[in-house]
Amino acid sequence: MTENPKRPVVARRATLLLVVLAILLVPIPALHTTGSRDIVIDASQYEYSPSRLNINRGDTVNVTLAASDVVHGFYLDGYEIDARIEPGISQQFTFTADRSGKFRYRCSVACGPLHPFMIGELVVGPNEPVLRASVLAVVAVAAILLGARKRRSA
Amino acid sequence: MRQSPTDGGRLDVLGRMPRLRRVVLSRAFQPVLMLLLLAPFALAVVAGLLGTSAGNRNFGIVFVWIVWWAVLMVLLVPGLGRVWCTVCPIPAPGEWIQRRGIIGGVAKLRTLGLRWPRRLRNMWVQNAGFLMLALFSTIILTRPSVSAAVIVGLTGTAVGMSLLFEKRTFCKYVCPIGGFIGLYSMVAPIELRVRDAQVCVDHRSKDCITGNENGYGCPWMIYPGKLDRNLDCGFCTECLKTCTMDNVVINLRRPGTDLGKPVSAKRIDEAFKALIMLACSIIYPAVLFGPWATVKEWAGIESFGGWLIYAAAFLTATLVFMPGLFWLAVSRGQKRSCSGLTIRQAFNEYAHALIPLGLASWIAFSVGFALTNGSYALAAISDPLGWGWNLFGTREAGWTPYLSGTAPAIQAAILLGGLIFSVRTSLRIGFRHDPSGTTTMQATAPVAAFLLACTLILLRLYLG
Amino acid sequence: MTQTRGNRAALVSIVLILVGIPTSILGYQYWLRPALAEHRVIDIATRVPENGGFSPDLVRAEVGETITLRFAVDDVAHGIAIGPGLDIDLGQIDPGHVGEITLTLDTPGIYTYYCNTWCSPSHWRMRGILEVVDPNASGSADAPSDPIIEALIAASVDIDAEPQLSEGILPDRSHGEQSFETVEVPPNLLDPTWRLSHTPAEGLVALRAKNPGSGDDVLTDVTAYLWSEPTPTIEIKELFAKNCAACHGERGAGDGPAATSTIETPVAFADVAWFRRGDIWYAKIRRGGMGTDMPNFGTLFTVEEARLLVDYLWYLSFK
Repeated sequence: MTENPKRPVVARRATLLLVVLAILLVPIPALHTTGSRDIVIDASQYEYSPSRLNINRGDTVNVTLAASDVVHGFYLDGYEIDARIEPGISQQFTFTADRSGKFRYRCSVACGPLHPFMIGELVVGPNEPVLRASVLAVVAVAAILLGARKRRSA
Repeated sequence: MRQSPTDGGRLDVLGRMPRLRRVVLSRAFQPVLMLLLLAPFALAVVAGLLGTSAGNRNFGIVFVWIVWWAVLMVLLVPGLGRVWCTVCPIPAPGEWIQRRGIIGGVAKLRTLGLRWPRRLRNMWVQNAGFLMLALFSTIILTRPSVSAAVIVGLTGTAVGMSLLFEKRTFCKYVCPIGGFIGLYSMVAPIELRVRDAQVCVDHRSKDCITGNENGYGCPWMIYPGKLDRNLDCGFCTECLKTCTMDNVVINLRRPGTDLGKPVSAKRIDEAFKALIMLACSIIYPAVLFGPWATVKEWAGIESFGGWLIYAAAFLTATLVFMPGLFWLAVSRGQKRSCSGLTIRQAFNEYAHALIPLGLASWIAFSVGFALTNGSYALAAISDPLGWGWNLFGTREAGWTPYLSGTAPAIQAAILLGGLIFSVRTSLRIGFRHDPSGTTTMQATAPVAAFLLACTLILLRLYLG
Repeated sequence: MTQTRGNRAALVSIVLILVGIPTSILGYQYWLRPALAEHRVIDIATRVPENGGFSPDLVRAEVGETITLRFAVDDVAHGIAIGPGLDIDLGQIDPGHVGEITLTLDTPGIYTYYCNTWCSPSHWRMRGILEVVDPNASGSADAPSDPIIEALIAASVDIDAEPQLSEGILPDRSHGEQSFETVEVPPNLLDPTWRLSHTPAEGLVALRAKNPGSGDDVLTDVTAYLWSEPTPTIEIKELFAKNCAACHGERGAGDGPAATSTIETPVAFADVAWFRRGDIWYAKIRRGGMGTDMPNFGTLFTVEEARLLVDYLWYLSFK
């Protein structure tokens, strides 16, 4: 007698777990061809231009860094690329965007008061992390609300 | 309201740790901790006023806005509630002057003893104070002299108010930091309550309010016998010392127990506090961590006209847009509900459901900031003023962001946790008003949608 | 204060903290540290020229005196160097850091400490004077005059005249290097002093006279090779990168990040090189352009460094 009320709960919990795992782990196919991109990033107080870059996962990116007013730095989250850019002396480096998501690039040389907020964004698409997290959020809210309805309905 | 030790699964912490209990009950407990904190506090002010204007090499910026802020938001408030207010050095000079003593003092406080105006006995002054700090935060966080001036200003205000007003009027009604610490401390798994309310009812002398030779009457001007949520209590432990009935305890409890309790229809100030904090927790990462340089420059007062535009947009977002949207969500929910609440009452009640997500959002922001810039602390302890000193040999420790690749995932997890907590809290509120549950989901769904919308925006800001 | 032992101890602690911390900080920085230093220490606040530049911007020392200069940077990264001829480069000092150098100068004269990293539109103004005097010598020595510049003035050459553009002339120095053995080169073209005071165009005229049968393109390439013959050293490349590239561009094309902020557009060397005398370039480097925002580097670089820079300008023009 006591088993029956528990079974639907266990079944519901198991379904929820499967759904969550699916959201987190199911691979999203890449509907693009990878290639090579040449990008010039210019640093000035307190922005990078371009301040937001969209590239495809798997692309090989050749970056030229330049500074136009004072010495700036360039640190790319997640890739541990750290460069120091002096006005008039440009630099180049290449990397392959093997992970999707948003990776901020930040100034790593103090360049004035707003230095800690001198940030640009590199978005490697399709942006799986934000998709997965958003779907998870929606599913979580739906699950909680539906669970409440089930709990109290006669 | 009766409480018993086993009500809702509470654990008397001090009862199980007698050595800690002795420490907490000694009159030297709070003053000694305040004194200890006074040292880095003084260093931060001196460094801010005299040291280098490069914020990342100045103790006054690094140890206040990176280290202290992260510890406060990520560990102290969610874990230990209002414990920062226990040891905060800002009211200390004023309180010691009032008491004419540091460890104990005169029985009657030496102050003009004015009572705070009735119309202001709410969070509005704290709301305004926090918004002012928020509008200027871009320069407060980056310019050491400005930061030091703010700290000195707050301390001066606290001292001045201690001479004019009774007890901890500054802390309770004015301090902008205390405002949100109080609100978010309701999430914490720790609380200070009375063991058995009936004991207080039967107790004649009420030493917790009048004070006795063991301690002062409650400086936060509340009656511990009726205390039922963390927001109103400053965790100063005086009542623990004065209670002759051994009836005051510090409990471990389930997180967020204070949320979802009834709120008076009049306390729209608390609802606005929750909305302001949530709105700010969205605006801060957008402005400071986003790629939009023009907005950053406006926030950083690079041009006064730009800052005016920024300030107008900021205030509209926090005081009009966010509360307005939430009002719509609540009223839509109440249309379908049979709870019998006025919309204003529902607004105040459901606003408390915003607290977990708001706190989670601030934690995510602070974690990001601390991981990225926490390494500055290593150099700052050796060269606190940026003068080329090398006290501990770590002057040349460079800037290294920690976990830069995984920080967004950590932030997403924190946000999702806060969202779930908030939605469940809103359901709890809904069920309290409609125990049959027939219209609970319809009443709560719009609020849940509001929470979800905020979360999706935050996820987009941090990850997308 | 209520008199108890606890309160007395607490009061002492407060005084120690609130009075002791500021006092010990200021006392250490302004009294103890200088008192314990072995040599005279001069603290120089280092900011962009708009906010004061170097202050102090004049330091006096005696011949043979050992002094320590401490450059405290506050706003943006500055490169600190001292010249001429001292080979002192502290590298870039970031805000909140202090660059320190202890030096003993044995030769009296006027030296300059300067910033060699582009830091503001007025970057080139960021200089200070380090005056080293011999207390035994009487009077102050005049800055020695530069014989090359003197010669130009004596010959009434207008150093600041508009340069003639070498339109359409695109010499290739590597071809010139290959063809060098096949042409007859007049001896004066092999003399660096002659080349210094003559333009490549004049060199081409001399080559044509000696090689009537050869085509102009071959002779142009050989002229280019002759004028830009020495390969630049890494030191000179760095000197150019730090001091010149911000305006003139990394490859001397007049396209540096600061090029839009100067009164006159920095010249692209390749555009004017064909009709340029090396000694005029040398003079401009040492004494600056008059009112064009080209700074004077005479007090920063030695004569040798300036000549090597001129060679490098040819190298950039004819690559």
